[in-house]
Amino acid sequence: MKKFWKSGDPFVWLTGGALAISLLMIAALMALILYNGLRQFWPYDLTELHLKDGNKVLGEIWDRERIPETDTDSKQAQYRIRVKIGNRDLYSLDFRWVDESEIERRFEPEHALVLERSEWGNFYGYFKKLTFDGTTIADSFAEGWPELQRRLDDMAALHNDIHSLEKGAIDEINSGLEKLRLQLRKLTMGSDTTDVALALEIAQQRAEMQSLRVRYDAREAELSSLYRQSERGVLTMTAIDGREKDIKVFDIVRAFRPNDIDFWGRSAVCAGKIWEFVSGEPRESNTEGGVFPALFGTVILVVMMSIAVVPLGVLAAIYLREYAKQGFWVQAIRIAVNNLAGVPSIVYGVFGLGFFIYAVGGTIDQFFFSEALPTPTFGTGGLLWASLTLALLTVPVVIVATEEGLAAVPREIREGSLALSATKFETLWRVVIPSALPGILTGLILAIARAAGEVAPLMLTGVVKLAPALPLDGTFPFLHLERKFMHLGFHIYDVGFQSPNVEAAIPMVYSTTLLLIIIVVLLNVFAIQIRNRLRKKLAFSVF
Amino acid sequence: MIRNSFFKQTMSYLALAAMSLSALPGDAALAQEKPKVDPEISLYKKVSGISGNLNSIGSDTMNNLMTLWGEAFARYYPSVRLGVEGKGSSTAPPALIAGTSQFGPMSRKMKETEIDAFQKAFGYKPTSMRTSLDALAVYVNKDNPIQGVTLQQVDAVFSKNRAGGLEKDIVTWGELGLTGAWANKPISLYGRNSASGTYGYFKKHALFKGDYKDTVKEQPGSASVVQGVSEDRYAIGYSGIGYITSGVRAVPLSKKADAAFAAVDMESVMKGKYPLARFLYLYINKEPGKQLTPLVREFLKFVFSKEGQKIVVKDGYLPLPYKVVQEELAMLDGGTN
Repeated sequence: MKKFWKSGDPFVWLTGGALAISLLMIAALMALILYNGLRQFWPYDLTELHLKDGNKVLGEIWDRERIPETDTDSKQAQYRIRVKIGNRDLYSLDFRWVDESEIERRFEPEHALVLERSEWGNFYGYFKKLTFDGTTIADSFAEGWPELQRRLDDMAALHNDIHSLEKGAIDEINSGLEKLRLQLRKLTMGSDTTDVALALEIAQQRAEMQSLRVRYDAREAELSSLYRQSERGVLTMTAIDGREKDIKVFDIVRAFRPNDIDFWGRSAVCAGKIWEFVSGEPRESNTEGGVFPALFGTVILVVMMSIAVVPLGVLAAIYLREYAKQGFWVQAIRIAVNNLAGVPSIVYGVFGLGFFIYAVGGTIDQFFFSEALPTPTFGTGGLLWASLTLALLTVPVVIVATEEGLAAVPREIREGSLALSATKFETLWRVVIPSALPGILTGLILAIARAAGEVAPLMLTGVVKLAPALPLDGTFPFLHLERKFMHLGFHIYDVGFQSPNVEAAIPMVYSTTLLLIIIVVLLNVFAIQIRNRLRKKLAFSVF
Repeated sequence: MIRNSFFKQTMSYLALAAMSLSALPGDAALAQEKPKVDPEISLYKKVSGISGNLNSIGSDTMNNLMTLWGEAFARYYPSVRLGVEGKGSSTAPPALIAGTSQFGPMSRKMKETEIDAFQKAFGYKPTSMRTSLDALAVYVNKDNPIQGVTLQQVDAVFSKNRAGGLEKDIVTWGELGLTGAWANKPISLYGRNSASGTYGYFKKHALFKGDYKDTVKEQPGSASVVQGVSEDRYAIGYSGIGYITSGVRAVPLSKKADAAFAAVDMESVMKGKYPLARFLYLYINKEPGKQLTPLVREFLKFVFSKEGQKIVVKDGYLPLPYKVVQEELAMLDGGTN
C-alpha cells in the first residue's frame, strides 16, 4: 500500500480526474447552450390537438412535464405539455399548457402553415385566401401556396428596395442636413448680426439646406409609394379557433409547411433562419429577428479596444522591463499592475463614466461641439469611451504578458546585438521586440478573451438596447466613435431579464450566447494563428 | 365602445369559467382577448420636415414600449433615430437635467426632490405625459390554486412592518387560505431592485409605504421576476401585466377584505376596481409658453395616436381612454402644465 502511494499513481489519477471534471463541465455547458440555442431554428411539426371540451389547439410542442402529484386526484403519473400556440395578436400569449388527460386526439395536419411575421410573432393556421388589390387571386391551398411563394419573393425585393433607400439616399441627405443645421447654429451663435459676409454665408447655408430638403421630399415620396405597394397583397388565414386574420404579405418574413417537408427542406428553413439571426436586424424590441447590430458592435468594440490597449501596454512594459532601474519602486508598480487585474470590472465602468465621459467628453463637447449643446456629442456614452474603458481594464494583462515575453529573450541575443555596436534602442527595436512579439500577442489574446465577455462596464459607458445606427457606415468620417452601440453580452442580459414575453425570448438568449462564444473563439483563433506564424519565424523564442 | 368591450369581456369570462370547471387548476391561463384601443382616438398624420436623433433614458418597464414606438415612428420618418436606454425610472430625471435625453420614461411620478433638481437647472418644472396604463400584477406559479388576495395580505406577505394593518406576518401559503399540500409550504418572495419604479410603486401602494422583507429576492428586471415565479412553485412576485407568460398566473386582488376580487383587465382598471393600476409617464423638458421642437412634438403625437396606442396593446399594457388622450394632446399644443 505504501508503495502504491509512493509510486505517484494516485496523483496522476487525481490530476487526470480534475481535468476530466473540468472538461465535463465545459462540455455539459456547451451542450446545453448548443441544444437550446440551435433548437429555435429547427422547424418542428405542428400538432393539432382536439381537447375533450371541444376546443382545438394548433402549435409546436415544446415541453412535457409531470403534473405534481398533489394537484391530481389519481395516483397515476399525469403529464402536461407546453404548446407554442403563436398568434400573439389573437391569444395574447405565445405558449399554453395542456394536460394530456384533456386531449382526445392529436395529429399533424398536412397543410398547417407557419408564418413568421415581422410583427406579433409567428402565426399558425390554415390558408384561406390570397387577395391582391382587393381581388381574390387564390382561394384554395393548392393554387394559393405557389402563388404565395411568388408574392413573397416580390416582397423580399420590395424590402430590399425600401432598405437601400432608407439606409442609403435618405440617410445621406439626413446627415447632410444635420451637419448644415449645426454649422448654421455655429454661425448664428453669439455673432454680430450686422456682419454682411456672415449674413451671406448664412443665406447660402440656408439655400443649401432648402435644396437638400427638396431632395429629401422627393426620396420620401418615393419611399411612401414603395410602402403603398406593400399594402397590396393580403393573405387571409384561419386560426385553429375559426377566427380569420388578414396578414399583409409584406409583413411575412417566412412561410413554410413544417409537416409537409422532408429533412432537407427543414434544413433549408433552418439555415435560412440562422442566416437571418446572424445578419438581420432585431425586431419586436429585440426578442425576434437578428442580432447583426449587436454582433457588429461586439466585434468593432474588441477591435478598437485592441488598437488602444496594445501600444499602451507594450510601451509601459518595455519601460518597466528594459529602461527602469529594477528596485523597490518598479517592484511596487509591478504589484500594483497585477492588482489592477483583480479590480471588479464595474469599477472600471464607473471610472469610465466619471473620467472619460463626464470629464474628457464633456470638455471636448464644450470646445468642439458647442453648437450641438445641450445635446452631448462625446459627453455621453459611446464606442470610443467604452473601448477605452475596456482597454484600461485589460491593460494589466498586456503589460504582464509583454514583460514575460521580454524577459524570455535570451541575454546572448541582446549581447550579440550590442557587441555588433547596435545602440540599446536599436537592439530593442530590431531584436528584442520582434522576438517578444509572440508574448505580446499572448497578452492580446488574453485581453480579447476578457474584453469580449465584459458587460458591466459597458452598461455605464455606451451600450444600448437598440442603437439607432451602426458605428461604421458610408457617411464621412465612416467610423463614428461617438455613437452608441449594441453588444451581444448586453443583448443577452436585456433579452433574458427585461423583455416582455420572456417565454418566447428565452431561446433567443441561448442563441445569442452561442454566437458570443463563437465570436470569442474566432477572435482567439485568429490571434493564435498570427502568433503561431511569428513563432515559426522566430524559432528561438520561448513563447 | 366601453359597453361593447365590457360585454365581450364578460362573455369571455363566462366561457373561461365554463372551461375552468372542466379543466384542472393550472390550465386557467387561457387565451384572453387583447384590450382594444378606443376608436375615437385619431390616426397619426404624417407631417414633413421631421428628422434628427432622439434619446430616451429611464424606466426599464417602458424600455420595450419606447423601442417599439421608436421602430414604428421611424417607419414614418426614416431619418429619425431613437436611442433607448432603460435602467430604471430613477435614471430619467438626471438624464433630462443633463440634456442627454429628450424623453424620460418613468413608471412612477417624479419625486419632489427630482422635480426640484430639474427646476433648479431650468427654472421651470418638467412636463409629465401619461402615455399608457399599466396594471401591476401579483404573480404566482401556474399551479397555484389561490383565488385572490387582499392588499393587506399582500402587504403582510412582502413587508416586514405591515403598515397595511394585518397583525400577523404571513409566511406560508396556508396563511393565505390554501389547504392540502400547499398549506405548510413557505412563500418564496420575488421582487425588483430599488432603482426600479415598479419597486417604488409597489412599496407605496401595496406595502402602504412599509419596508420590504429582507427575504425578497431582488431581480434586475421584470422578466426575471416572472421567470423566477414560473420556475419556483411556491413563489409570489410582482411585475407589470405586460410580462405575463404561460408559466405564471396573475392573482385577482381586492382593496379591502370585504371587497370582491378584481382580475387584472382593462375593465377593472378603468373602473378603478383593480388596486394596483398606474399610468406610465413620459417626462419631457418643455419650457412654458414655448413650442416643443417639431421632432419631439411629432413623436408625442404619434404616441397619442391610434397607432401609438396599438403598440401599447402589443406590448401587453393597457391603452389610454380617449379623454386622457385629449387632455394630453391639448397640453402638447402649447398649453402649460
